[in-house]
Amino acid sequence: MQPPTGPALAPAPGSSPGPAPGSPLLRWQWREVQAPCLVAGWILVASLAKIVFQLSRKVTSVVPESCLLILLGLGLGGIVLAIAKRAEYQLEPSLFFLFLLPPIVLDSGYFMPSRLFFDNLGAILTYAVIGTLWNSFTTGAALWGVKQAGLMDKGVEAGLMDFLLFGSLISAVDPVAVLAVFEEVHINETLFIIVFGESLLNDAVTVVLYKVFNSFVEMGPAHVQATDYLKGVASFFVVSLGGAAVGLLFAFLLALITRFTKRVRIIEPLFVFLLAYMAYLAAEMVSLSSILAVTFCGICCKKYVEANISRKSRTTVKYTMKTLASSSETVIFMFLGISAVDTSKWAWDTALVLGTLLFILLFRAVGVILQTWVLNCFRLTPLDRIDQVVMSYGGLRGAVAFALVILLDGAKVRAKDYFVATTIVVVFFTVLVQGLTIKPLVKWLKVKRSDHHKPTLNEELHEHAFDHILAAVEDVVGHHGYRYWRDKWEQFDKRYLSQLLMRKSAYRLKDEIWDVYCKLNIRDAISFVDQGGHVLSASRLTLPSMPSRTSMSESSVTNLLRESGSGACLDLQVIDTVRSRRDKEDAVMHHVLCGSLYKPRRRYKASYSRHFISPSTQERQDKEIFQQNMKRRLETFKSTKHNVRSAKSKARLKKDGRKKQKKSVANTELPNGKPPRSVNWQQTAAVLVAVDSDSEESDSSETEKEDDEGIVFIARAADEILQGKKASGSLDICPSPRIIPPSPTSAEKELPWKGDRGDLAVYISSETTKIVPVDMQTAWKQSISSLESVASPPGAEPGPHAKTVAGPVLDEGPKLERQMMPEQRICFQFPNPLLRSSRPQSDSSLERTEQPELQPLMALDEHGRMSTSAGPSNSRWLIQFNRPTRFSDG
Amino acid sequence: MGSSHSMPEEIQELADKTGFTLEQIEHLHRRFRQISGDQPTIRKESFDRIPDLEFNPIRSKIVRAFFDKRNLRQAPSGLADEINFEDFLTIMSYFRPIEMNMDEEQLDHFRKEKLKFLFHMYDSDNDGKITLLEYRKVVEELLSRNPHLEKESARSIADGAMMEAASICVGQMEPDQVYEGITFEDFLKMWQGIDINTKMHVRFLNMEPIAHCH
Repeated sequence: MQPPTGPALAPAPGSSPGPAPGSPLLRWQWREVQAPCLVAGWILVASLAKIVFQLSRKVTSVVPESCLLILLGLGLGGIVLAIAKRAEYQLEPSLFFLFLLPPIVLDSGYFMPSRLFFDNLGAILTYAVIGTLWNSFTTGAALWGVKQAGLMDKGVEAGLMDFLLFGSLISAVDPVAVLAVFEEVHINETLFIIVFGESLLNDAVTVVLYKVFNSFVEMGPAHVQATDYLKGVASFFVVSLGGAAVGLLFAFLLALITRFTKRVRIIEPLFVFLLAYMAYLAAEMVSLSSILAVTFCGICCKKYVEANISRKSRTTVKYTMKTLASSSETVIFMFLGISAVDTSKWAWDTALVLGTLLFILLFRAVGVILQTWVLNCFRLTPLDRIDQVVMSYGGLRGAVAFALVILLDGAKVRAKDYFVATTIVVVFFTVLVQGLTIKPLVKWLKVKRSDHHKPTLNEELHEHAFDHILAAVEDVVGHHGYRYWRDKWEQFDKRYLSQLLMRKSAYRLKDEIWDVYCKLNIRDAISFVDQGGHVLSASRLTLPSMPSRTSMSESSVTNLLRESGSGACLDLQVIDTVRSRRDKEDAVMHHVLCGSLYKPRRRYKASYSRHFISPSTQERQDKEIFQQNMKRRLETFKSTKHNVRSAKSKARLKKDGRKKQKKSVANTELPNGKPPRSVNWQQTAAVLVAVDSDSEESDSSETEKEDDEGIVFIARAADEILQGKKASGSLDICPSPRIIPPSPTSAEKELPWKGDRGDLAVYISSETTKIVPVDMQTAWKQSISSLESVASPPGAEPGPHAKTVAGPVLDEGPKLERQMMPEQRICFQFPNPLLRSSRPQSDSSLERTEQPELQPLMALDEHGRMSTSAGPSNSRWLIQFNRPTRFSDG
Repeated sequence: MGSSHSMPEEIQELADKTGFTLEQIEHLHRRFRQISGDQPTIRKESFDRIPDLEFNPIRSKIVRAFFDKRNLRQAPSGLADEINFEDFLTIMSYFRPIEMNMDEEQLDHFRKEKLKFLFHMYDSDNDGKITLLEYRKVVEELLSRNPHLEKESARSIADGAMMEAASICVGQMEPDQVYEGITFEDFLKMWQGIDINTKMHVRFLNMEPIAHCH
């Protein structure tokens, strides 16, 4: 299978000899690859099985996946048994504890809703510690009672200690099984966190009990001293608290390390996994509770790690963790099934099996009811009866119990075979029967489900307000309760811990409300693109000459925005004051240069690096397209919906809008509401603009980006000289068609506020150019039809006409470019220059009244009245419209 | 405290009115005297005596809520200058946890009361609407603990939240429709998914009666 390499030359014992004894061409080397190949093979089988399961939604909606996997394991185990005549692949305890368990626990710890977890920590700890102790002792004792009563077979040679040992390993609720089942059930989060938290934390108790009883059994019950019992109690605290401490230590280290990974982004995720795993191994090494260590490491480090690592690393961490956990879980369940087939380890005793099943169900229920009764006296939100039923019934046992029972020393614990059989039955029963029935039960009992609604900004705000109010009320009544301490902790965290563990940049922006806001923004943006942007991007990508130009234009736009701060130079109309013949030539030159210079530069970027993910051109293009689409969508949205929707002043705006529409109808030579474009410029630089639908696109988007970001135009635009300088300056920085275009009239000069409104495109359209490539018509139509101004498609206006109109000012640019790019069928619609120049002053006043519509929410000035002129002070607010979908999905 | 023993009927009356137990009232009375400095009423300045309150970013809003006549159920608007013990209890009763034996209707009423308290806190000008400006102010205060977040961001958050509220509450708006602010009905709508009864309460107020009943 492999080419003969150095080490392979030595004939491997199991390998079949090649054709020639001297130097074989190929060699069978199964031995060398056996172990990893088996691992990979099993994971592959399990993953394929998952695909198959998911093929039938009907089955998976009824049967939890864990059940299916166990059954599959049984089947496979049977096959292996039939072929090999002996049960081979077993779930090895060491494999389980060292490799399979850590990913699952890390995953659950890292993605644990920490707030919820700590809010319910009291209940979780009670159930985990007291509940587990109760279960172990009662189950063990009851089984011993059954044995004493003579109901069990003579073969079960076990004393009280053995039964207690068995009780300790069988009583622990298993995190893997619980998670697998409960994740599909979607019960309400409080209930979930209690059951799940219990299953995670009770590990410490289980492990301690198991070890203590195991040592007792090995010593022999007769030799156990009183001090040993004390030691057992002490070791519980040491093991659990020590494990948690190890976890915290590693969480701290991890957070600290990720603070300094700015230059090695690519291995950022690795630190997360490595340190968490180290925490697990370190705890295991000193026989502390390793599950607790990883759990606490995950819970505690998350906040800081997430703030420190880059967005991509965050995604990587998330997916890798989920992948690892999911495959571990799959393998565990499958191996449980396979292991069960091995009858050589079985020793069946009906009384023991039935007794165990009965007792674990019974005592869990009793324990839950008793503890809840006590807890409800202290809990603010009492757990009602239904919750208790689910909690009792949700006590699934799983692979931990199985691994522990396999670990027993058969020489010392003589009833091991019986215990193994019983454990397998219990695990199968809880996972299969209870796992299957819990969903209908939850439905039948009408347990409060978790409503999986998206987080809203309002909720986040209110909840924060809540925290503060409640903390304040606790202060007022002089009660230092939980909220008081949480408040104090948060203050401490903010002041010292976060400062130490977070990057400065991250620390500054760290605020939960802000985070949610950003997250929602991003989500909306993505959904926008998903909705329809891809059509455009696809068509654009196919154009061979596009990418370079797009990126050029994009970079220039962004640079420009960056350079000029507010991007005032985008106010195209102002520029014409400084426009001269020479400028025009300059601009053309720039275009020629950047058009031809860009491509070679682009090539260099496609380099390979193992250590850095260089943003590939493809990626960059996607990003640009994304941004541009976003902008376009935003504009569409804005012009259609949100002016009207959230506007504070309705009637007036509406009226104005109608007037405007009439106006634009009057100037029908412009079919589409498009942002102001400088015709003159485009005539000279038409090559670029026309060829590049993107530049056109971003052109329009620029204008609306302006008010997206609330750029203050008025102040700057009024300052002509400054503006002019800016414009020329920007030319130097990054030449691009849309910067340079001079406005056709000088009217704008006098109406500087004009630039403030990309939205108003429709109304200003009288003096703008329409260049809409055919492939974008649909998109434009959307926005246009909603504006209902003039709904004729861009192509309707014949190009030639436009050309002739534009003729006087025009060089041969458009024609030229038309020849160059015939396949694009771009339609130009140049407006009538005369109309352009005749842009009346009245128009300006109209626009002035229009302002509020543009900035609906902002329109209220401090006195709650309409502010008709958007002053620089309040024009920035518009950034909120980054989230337009909020409206559209309303 | 002394007075409480001398006037048991009055205390009983208070207990019936606010739903607190006698022990709770006694405790609260002690605290009330502490805050007021043994005066019969609490004024705004009295809250300065609570050092922990100082760090609360929305301190002013919270203190204000204590004097809001809407919360005191005295008048539809306006601020009281000072509140007596009964008023203090009235405010505190907003934070009572739910009791096991409440039926649906009571729960609903309870929930609405709590939300009203919250709503009044946002709606500082009594016009029955949380306008954008009011919302912004709240958000600004909420974020005021973080010196690195500019006012701009607070604004954009508030604006975004407002838009969200508009989309949740009104849904599809007519072209000429204007969303002026969050009314209480809208407020209820926004809170639909959240179980406020499990959140808006203070533990201590519930501790004593139960400790007692055992």
